Amino acid sequence: MMESQIVIKARNIEKKYADGSALAGFDLDVYQGQIMGLVGPNGAGKSTFLQAVLGLVDIKGELEVLGLSPKKDRHELLTRVCSITDVAVMPRWMTVGQVLKYVDGVHPNFDLTKARKILSKTNIKRSSRIRALSRGMVVQLHLSIVMAIDAELLVLDEPTLGLDLSYRKEFYSQLIEDYFDGNKTIIISTHQIEEIEGVLSDIVFLDQGKEVLSGSIEDLNQRFLELRPKADNLEKAKALNPLLIKTELGRPVYLYDGVDIEKLKDFGEVYPPAIADLFLAVMKKNTEEGEAK
Amino acid sequence: MKSLKALIRRELQEHKWAFIYLPWIVASFMFLVVVLVFVGLTEVNTENFSFSTEIYTDPDIIKSMQESTLEERKGAIRAGLLVLGSPLVIALGFALLAFSLSTFFDERKDKSIIFWRSLPVSDTYTVFSKLIVATIVAPLLIIPALVFLHLVSVTAGSTFFAISDIVPFTWAWNAYPWFDWIRIIFSLWLQTLWTLPILTWIMLAGAYSRKPVVAAILPPVVFVLVERVAFASTLFFDALIERLQPWSRASSFPKEYENLAVSEISDIPLLFGTLEFWMGILISGIFIYLTIYFRSKSDYASVE
Repeated sequence: MMESQIVIKARNIEKKYADGSALAGFDLDVYQGQIMGLVGPNGAGKSTFLQAVLGLVDIKGELEVLGLSPKKDRHELLTRVCSITDVAVMPRWMTVGQVLKYVDGVHPNFDLTKARKILSKTNIKRSSRIRALSRGMVVQLHLSIVMAIDAELLVLDEPTLGLDLSYRKEFYSQLIEDYFDGNKTIIISTHQIEEIEGVLSDIVFLDQGKEVLSGSIEDLNQRFLELRPKADNLEKAKALNPLLIKTELGRPVYLYDGVDIEKLKDFGEVYPPAIADLFLAVMKKNTEEGEAK
Repeated sequence: MKSLKALIRRELQEHKWAFIYLPWIVASFMFLVVVLVFVGLTEVNTENFSFSTEIYTDPDIIKSMQESTLEERKGAIRAGLLVLGSPLVIALGFALLAFSLSTFFDERKDKSIIFWRSLPVSDTYTVFSKLIVATIVAPLLIIPALVFLHLVSVTAGSTFFAISDIVPFTWAWNAYPWFDWIRIIFSLWLQTLWTLPILTWIMLAGAYSRKPVVAAILPPVVFVLVERVAFASTLFFDALIERLQPWSRASSFPKEYENLAVSEISDIPLLFGTLEFWMGILISGIFIYLTIYFRSKSDYASVE
């Protein structure tokens, strides 16, 4: 990737709260066109990093978003960056129409006609008060607003938290089919890894404010492999030091890091791991290494 | 300008009861009082003003009305309209206090502040827009209700007087002080600037505290008590009361302009020449700066 296409450049980002470190020397590069997933347990620093990207918190280290300082150039940045977070509650006293008109008034890159068109495909009425909408409908409204903004970067922090399955599926399919065009960049943090798996182009695993693993989904699918060994190859497969051993439908499944696919194919069925499994394996390894130190 | 319009519209939508409905409710109530007085069902008596059926039954009053000069009529109508309009101004005062208390607190309480701050509007601009609403827009919004109240009341009075053959229908209209509306607008704008230190102090309490009522009231109360106990003086308390009174009655303003009702537009700039006025603006500036600072520190943790 060319340097000019970098959207987020983070170097040695640190953030300390009274109850401990949220970010402890975190580095990240996000390029135009990527859909980057931030994955980690509670307290890993995902939300803190996304808040720093939006200029909401002071941090130590070097952070540039679209070539701007999120704190100093926050106003300009927000004309080019959109966000949906579960914390950013829409004003319950407003009607849908009032919110659209407000955003139209303050956002230079908002297309009111487009927002109305997107909303017309949903069952959200412009006259409805936000307090009368379900949580899923509010997120849908927020997404409709974001989709009508010509932004370069979309920050999603647990955007589907608390939604039922149908809304979650709808959210991501709408995001990819109707919003993402290859020129935009999306950074997502979520606990529901399995739902964004097919959406992401890149991923970063965080733990205790630090990167544990990162890479493109394509690269990770080549580096990490799952093997469902045949019964007579169990011992040979185990000898290759799997990162994780689990059982699926009564059969053992081994997850490997950096083992040649051709070698594994001799022992059974080989396929890329689910991100959730990879996450568990990497976190387990990280914890064990931490304890060993 | 487009974003300022959107910000002001948002404030008026959120506080429509305080700024849009309340003046009309008060004006309608006052008009009802006027009609009830004319039909003899009630009467209004204040220290300096009396309004009852005597106005068209007492021979002395009738005689003085018939013989009154244009200036005397103008003065009588002004006094009447001032009393009629006072509840509207008092309602505006309460609306502004409620607005100041809730405007920065509610957005933290319902967590919408993160949504507002996700849009390209700076904290300074947002605070600025709320100050414009409090000092310029809200006073303007009581004017239509005030004008309505004045016009229907004078119409009702003129009709009663004409029907009772006391004075012709045009008696009041010929002396109607039309320019008073403009004077009232400027007076109200200056009044809110005069009260601005109190409004911005309350806004600041809403911007940082989880208990804004306590944060707004407790420090001044402590300050007043400490001053009284330690220095046996009441300077701070007196200054507070002065700020809550109409500016033209405040001790800092020349005594000859004591009564808001008789101050002319040309008198208004006199306020700008007083040190107390500018001290208030300076103190308000400090509170506004702190409000912007606290709002700019809002993150997820501050609303969770």
